[in-house]
Amino acid sequence: MGAAATLEVRNLRVELTTRDGISPVIDDLSFSLRAGETLALVGESGCGKSMTALAVMGLLPHPVGRIAGGSIFFDGEDLVAASDRRLRDIRGNDISMIFQEPMTSLNPVYTVGEQIAEVLRRHQGLGRRAAWEHAIELLNAVGIPDPAARVDSYPHQMSGGQRQRVMIAIALACKPKILIADEPTTALDVTVQAQIFDLLRNLQRETGTTILLITHDMGAVCELAERMMVMYAGRKVEEGGVDAVIAAPRHPYTKGLIDCVPHMIDNPTAARPPLVEIPGIVPPLRDFGAGRCLFAARCAERVARCAEARPEDVDFGAGHRAACWQAGAA
Amino acid sequence: MTSREEALLTVRDLRVRFPLKAASLFAPKRYLYAVDGVSFSIARGQTLAIVGESGSGKTTTALAVARLIDAYAGSVNLQELDVLGLDREALRAARRRFQFIFQDPYSSLNPRLRAADIVAEPLPPMAADARQRIVDDLFEAVGLRPEQQRLFPHQFSGGQRQRIGIARAMAPQPDLIICDEPVSALDVAVQAQVLNLLRDLQSGRGLTYLFISHDLGVVQHMCDQIAVMYLGKIVEYADRLSLFQNPLHPYTRALLSAVPRVDPTVRGGDRRLLLQGDPPDPANPPRGCRFAARCPVAETRCHQEPPALRTLRNKQQVACHLVTEDAVSPLG
Amino acid sequence: MAEVKLDAPAVEAASGPLREVARMFLKNHAAVGALAVLLLIVAAAVIGPPLYSDDPYEMVWAPFSPPGADGFLLGTDYLGRDILAGLFYGARVSLAIGLSAALMSVGIGVTIGASAGFYRGWVEEVLMRFTEFFQVLPTLLFSMVIVALFGASLQVVTIAIGVVSWTAVARITRAEFLRIRELEYVMASRASGAGNLKLITAVILPNALPPIIVQAALMVGSAILFEAGLSFLGLSDPNVMSWGQIIGSNRPYILDASFTVTIPGMAIFVTVLAISLVGDGLNDALNPKLRQR
Repeated sequence: MGAAATLEVRNLRVELTTRDGISPVIDDLSFSLRAGETLALVGESGCGKSMTALAVMGLLPHPVGRIAGGSIFFDGEDLVAASDRRLRDIRGNDISMIFQEPMTSLNPVYTVGEQIAEVLRRHQGLGRRAAWEHAIELLNAVGIPDPAARVDSYPHQMSGGQRQRVMIAIALACKPKILIADEPTTALDVTVQAQIFDLLRNLQRETGTTILLITHDMGAVCELAERMMVMYAGRKVEEGGVDAVIAAPRHPYTKGLIDCVPHMIDNPTAARPPLVEIPGIVPPLRDFGAGRCLFAARCAERVARCAEARPEDVDFGAGHRAACWQAGAA
Repeated sequence: MTSREEALLTVRDLRVRFPLKAASLFAPKRYLYAVDGVSFSIARGQTLAIVGESGSGKTTTALAVARLIDAYAGSVNLQELDVLGLDREALRAARRRFQFIFQDPYSSLNPRLRAADIVAEPLPPMAADARQRIVDDLFEAVGLRPEQQRLFPHQFSGGQRQRIGIARAMAPQPDLIICDEPVSALDVAVQAQVLNLLRDLQSGRGLTYLFISHDLGVVQHMCDQIAVMYLGKIVEYADRLSLFQNPLHPYTRALLSAVPRVDPTVRGGDRRLLLQGDPPDPANPPRGCRFAARCPVAETRCHQEPPALRTLRNKQQVACHLVTEDAVSPLG
Repeated sequence: MAEVKLDAPAVEAASGPLREVARMFLKNHAAVGALAVLLLIVAAAVIGPPLYSDDPYEMVWAPFSPPGADGFLLGTDYLGRDILAGLFYGARVSLAIGLSAALMSVGIGVTIGASAGFYRGWVEEVLMRFTEFFQVLPTLLFSMVIVALFGASLQVVTIAIGVVSWTAVARITRAEFLRIRELEYVMASRASGAGNLKLITAVILPNALPPIIVQAALMVGSAILFEAGLSFLGLSDPNVMSWGQIIGSNRPYILDASFTVTIPGMAIFVTVLAISLVGDGLNDALNPKLRQR
């Protein structure tokens, strides 16, 4: 598995200091991101998906969050040991990120052209003119109509979908090896979402960028990702190919996440059975790291062992892994 | 649409406009027509969904129905009550017949009030013990414990807050509950709890919902009738099965096809009808069909003549020149 | 319904928002210290005159007796009056003027700001132009005119200060109303049949209070300073001993007996600083964003 991995996270532990003490928001997390693939990181808010992305980017909230153990290998280089300067260099050039809210992540006082060109000049050392021309090309590549004119627009003059396209253009400006997309379509309308999915798919096909997609939306997972990883309370609970996991989830939490939202189907019938509920909420941070299954309190299939020991991460074949004492029984 | 049963709410030709900032003092007054001639009706115990994307006017329609903003034309009848014709005093009394469940469980509860007082807010003046009985009953109905009545909103989770919002909406036994994106701000795992609760309460207490949403999965699960809005107008209006099995308007088609399916057997963007561009500026809508500029099958007539919402033989309503009387969509 | 599992209990005793504010405030050591100093000053104002001397005008000794000499802890002024007695008595006046002027400007400011923020439209337009008019008036000059016109009594001085300092409150209140009126719980109250007056006073105002309270606290301090300024110019009530007045009346002797001016000056300085620190602490404690951590 290790050979083709662009990013390899091993036994990562991230600790957050809060009023209640120190909690592991990411607890012994291991996964790898293969070159050119899209991996979806799924879970409720507060499960550690965004924290994982921030740890990879070296952007953990200072001083409350810190990496307490494990390693993050990017092309063989351990980012945990890297200097701030090196991390800054990697952030602009090799790993970039797009966010959920395209309005607040663009600077309102500069035109979109200036913002793209600025990234190109800083990270690729392009001249003023070359950067400007390349910015127009990038706007064209992300599907902004009439890019030569739109390059002079300010963010507020664009629609939400166009702003997200600009964000993608900025993120792709330096041809990163990894693009981390944190809920990239959540704030957008359905038809615009479809356009962004389409754009990301095409760009990936052309550039071969590896995408780490962070989302709570199973629809987005199915649209974009080949593999998915489900996180709960800072731990990986299931990992595998999207088709396999959606068709036959092994962890009760994954099952719950898939079933608890009504998904549109093409041939509905008059029958509308109640949705499957996951009772309760994510445990408080102070419970993270306990030596048991943290999902047990919300789980319908729990047995005595769940409260006694943390389930091991078991491979069920073809890279489909789950951490649940009952997963083998299914 | 609901001719079989008596309509609880009937909305006819509702129009809402907002004044735009004039270019100069002497320029003619310009308006943004946010809701432009919308008609629908809901029978008691049913759920009507208004779906649409941002800027479609779906929330404005709901606010105008409850007279929380003013419509400049049209009529809203809640049974015998002419809502738009009420004077101030009568309106305040009538307000209790419409209640809202809001999108954001954080901004929709007054942080200074205890949960019990929030739920009791819409109740008419009454004796303290009668009021307490009602609050007790509502807390139980939405699945909250009695001792939680004394807590403040910040002490609840998002899902619990939405339960408080639901209890508040039910308190005055309203005729109509308007649910404005009731689960879109909630964490995925909590959505099912709230949606199931809404349906249980509907079957148990005969509630009537006007459901505003952009989430077609939720709409498909919750609603009996669906009105699809685009730029201030209803483009298609049908019952649940007809709309999802045989969408007629090209916009409805595009909207439904844009929703990602969570089913490994139907994945892939190939069947998708991808729309180009963004909706036109609502302050300056096109002359003909408002969807024409983005429509893959638009003809010359579509750009010139706005299509009216007409009822087809199968009772489905659609505003498109190209849909036939036998409910065949131009997209096949 | 019965099988619906409840979310994790959020019950940690029914601690209201107030208790949370108090907890945050107590964490701020500077503010707590300032509050203690302030309470000490208030106590001195209340019990000082009856315990020490109830007539600060009485000439008790030779003029310009330095502090500590001849049994007078803070010395005597140019007429041989006990400065400590003057400070005790002046504390009452200064605090009373500070409080009532601040209350007055909060009253005016909240009324104007709330109406402007709630009703919007031409009401807002007119009220905010009115506010701007007061904002651009040179405040000292304007209050001097008022005192000159209506006479230098305590009431007139208080009103003069109140009238020139309400504009900040009005602006803050308006901004808060503009923000809160759009929140959904306000719409929920409206949908429950609440009238405008109820929305303004019972729904929006309580939620708008935190920044207004902070501003009011700071205004007590600035009103004390303002009164001192007027007194210094000889424009305050000559028959009432305030800190400013002690400074003002001893002004000609500032070079020969500087303590007659610096001691009441220190009293003003310490009081205003304490009020500012308390206001600052309140600001942090009432700010929900800081409260998260």
